[in-house]
Amino acid sequence: MLRNYLKIAIKVLLRRKFFTVVSLFGISFTLVVLMVATAVLDHVIAPLPPEVHQDRTVSITRASMYGEHSQWTGGAGYRLLDRYARDLPGAERMSVFTSPDQVYSYPNGNKVGVALKRTDGEFWQILRFDFIEGAPYTADDVESARPVAVITRTTRERLLVGAPAVGRTVEVDGQRFHVVGVVEDIPRLRMIPFGEMWAPFTTLKSDSYKTELLGGFSAIVLARDRAAIPGMQEELRSRLARAELPDPKHYTTLVAPLESTFESLARTDIKSESSHAERLWLLMIGGALLFMLLPTVNLINLNVSRIMERASEIGVRKAFGASSRTLVGQFVVENLVLTTVGAVIGFLASLVVLRAISASGVIPYAEFHVNYRILLYGIALTLFFGSFSGVYPAWRMSRLNPVQALKGAAR
Amino acid sequence: MIRHYLKLIWNRKRSNLLITVEIFFSFLVVFAVVATAAYFANNYRRPLGFRIDDVWVVNVDAKLPESMVSEDDAVAVVETRRQLHLALRELAEVRELAGAYTVPYGNSRWMSSTKVDGRSVDYTMNGVTDGFASVLGLSLVRGRWFGRDDDAASWDPVAINEQLAAAIFGAADPIGRTFPQEEPEAGGKQREWRVVGVFREYRQDGELALPENYMMIRARPDSFESGPALGRLAIKVRPGTTAAFEERLVRHMQAVAKNWSFEVKPAVEMRAERLRNTLTPLIAGGIVAGFLLLMVALGLTGVVWQSVTQRTREFGLRRAKGAAIPDIRAQILGELLVMATIAVLLGTAIVVQFPLLKLVAGVTAGVYAASLVISALGIYLLILTCAWYPSRMATSIPPAEALHYE
Repeated sequence: MLRNYLKIAIKVLLRRKFFTVVSLFGISFTLVVLMVATAVLDHVIAPLPPEVHQDRTVSITRASMYGEHSQWTGGAGYRLLDRYARDLPGAERMSVFTSPDQVYSYPNGNKVGVALKRTDGEFWQILRFDFIEGAPYTADDVESARPVAVITRTTRERLLVGAPAVGRTVEVDGQRFHVVGVVEDIPRLRMIPFGEMWAPFTTLKSDSYKTELLGGFSAIVLARDRAAIPGMQEELRSRLARAELPDPKHYTTLVAPLESTFESLARTDIKSESSHAERLWLLMIGGALLFMLLPTVNLINLNVSRIMERASEIGVRKAFGASSRTLVGQFVVENLVLTTVGAVIGFLASLVVLRAISASGVIPYAEFHVNYRILLYGIALTLFFGSFSGVYPAWRMSRLNPVQALKGAAR
Repeated sequence: MIRHYLKLIWNRKRSNLLITVEIFFSFLVVFAVVATAAYFANNYRRPLGFRIDDVWVVNVDAKLPESMVSEDDAVAVVETRRQLHLALRELAEVRELAGAYTVPYGNSRWMSSTKVDGRSVDYTMNGVTDGFASVLGLSLVRGRWFGRDDDAASWDPVAINEQLAAAIFGAADPIGRTFPQEEPEAGGKQREWRVVGVFREYRQDGELALPENYMMIRARPDSFESGPALGRLAIKVRPGTTAAFEERLVRHMQAVAKNWSFEVKPAVEMRAERLRNTLTPLIAGGIVAGFLLLMVALGLTGVVWQSVTQRTREFGLRRAKGAAIPDIRAQILGELLVMATIAVLLGTAIVVQFPLLKLVAGVTAGVYAASLVISALGIYLLILTCAWYPSRMATSIPPAEALHYE
């Protein structure tokens, strides 16, 4: 039976090529947009190396001090992290680092901008970078403020022109660093690991950071397991509630959320306890549905037209005793064949589009891939799309009056 | 005529409803694209207020803690800054230089607001040194720029743009008037701000940004009060200065302030970066919208084609009763245009809610209305394009054949 349906479906699709092409175009285009959007999202938040323990890593990136009339929000400061966020119960490791600073170097008279992130030694223990050359600097290097640095493949090319780089010296922002390691490029959108060069934070030009509650630092905390995270958040909150503030006349409360990357993306109010990550999920799903509305209506319209054209065929089948359910089944199968073909085209097209976006350099060091997770989303979307746009026309069709349909006078 | 079309549409109400829904959503897409484009185009054609040729911008990071600067630190910073300004003036390539809190296309913004006759006026502020106007070629409309002569004054001289002058002083001459400041915090004392000049415009965020209220207050590189705010330098270099000078400039500054960091960029580069950052997402959205509309256009063509084929006998009958070919085409197009009008009216009813509910900021009523008209015309054009070929098809069959067409 199914084989017959498939045969008919293919025959029908080939008969009216214009309709088929237009439907396929709509389906595959919709899929491309949704796949590219999910790939970009995946690129930002998926647990990809170097963030291998992302499922049990939480970070502190922002902090805020506020009082009745004043509020001051910014990055977390070193003092806040060092004094209040260390040794949280259930934490396995913790690392502090700065947000990347754009610094410049002038090798052979050319200007090269490099994003320099200053970190501690633990940074390399929590995040697993892919070393092409050498090794990371250690906690000992950081302790004694040795001018050492790890650079990326691209930075090596731009600053040192060719391998090997380990043992050579680079000068950025008026400071000289010995290169101890070279790693693969890190996408700019991976907020936590991103840098083009990393050096011990003790090599910062001024040590004023030591006294700052708000400043240019962030921390990541690796929990022993996911279950320990709420306890850590609670403990940090109560420690910050007891913190001594430098200007108690203006600022009475200090907050610094400890949360996952997605939660910190979703956060709109730094003072609230929860980041309302579900709200961002709902917003994204709503956006995707809204976007799919027009393609779906378009596809329904095309399907209705196509069915009405086959009114006399349906009339014949009804006259010979085919039930409405059989006819609906047949039409839904036809539609699923169409959407599947569209999905395959869309999938191939999104590979091409993602490669083009990666190559264009719009987002530095972005490498977009369609992974199995995204493919699963894609298949789910296609099935939804296919059955949703097929059901209404099929229902219309099944209600045709056989006598009228035989005359081809369907309304 | 239209009533007749409405009747015909009602006869096929179910499929026509779907078509109308599709046109309605397409209208929303077209409107989103047109309104965004109109907003930016309207901003783009307005005067910018400054010139950036041969202007270089330096981001000066004095490595100060973000709060609680000690007295000693402050004195040291001011002294280094004074020397830095002097050292830069020594360079032959440097024509003029100014310190500022923020520069054109810079990312920082200093917002302030004040109350005038009970209504609140928001404005953007900038602390600049005396050379700023000449580095950026600002054009003065009234009064004068602040300068050395103001050193002795017991008040702070400020210059404001025409828009802010109108918002606060109305039609009256603002020169010499006191700029109303917001109430100081309890116990705090504020120096008076006195308007000395009015400049035409200064759109800090560049060509694509909305004009805004703007005020520049005089800052002195040698006073700590305004000192920390002077994180940026704007330098007018001699025409023809190449990028090679950049390295020399940085080394020269580094020699004066060893522990500070400097980032030098020609202002044109900052402008290009800003344009790219603003336009890239818009272009991506535009491409998606373009494909959506192409999809709709093809889909509608197919739907109209199908419905025309189905109605061949009806058209044959009309022609047999004496209707000419243009009449038939007019009927097909007319029916669609009536549906499009219903969709556009519905869409307009929804779209006008946004400014009424204050969901969009900064888009003027004129731009909004123009976008509505252009979008409606765009939809009609789309419909006509879709219907053109099928309507020819419908009339290409001779009436005698059409009458017994199956």
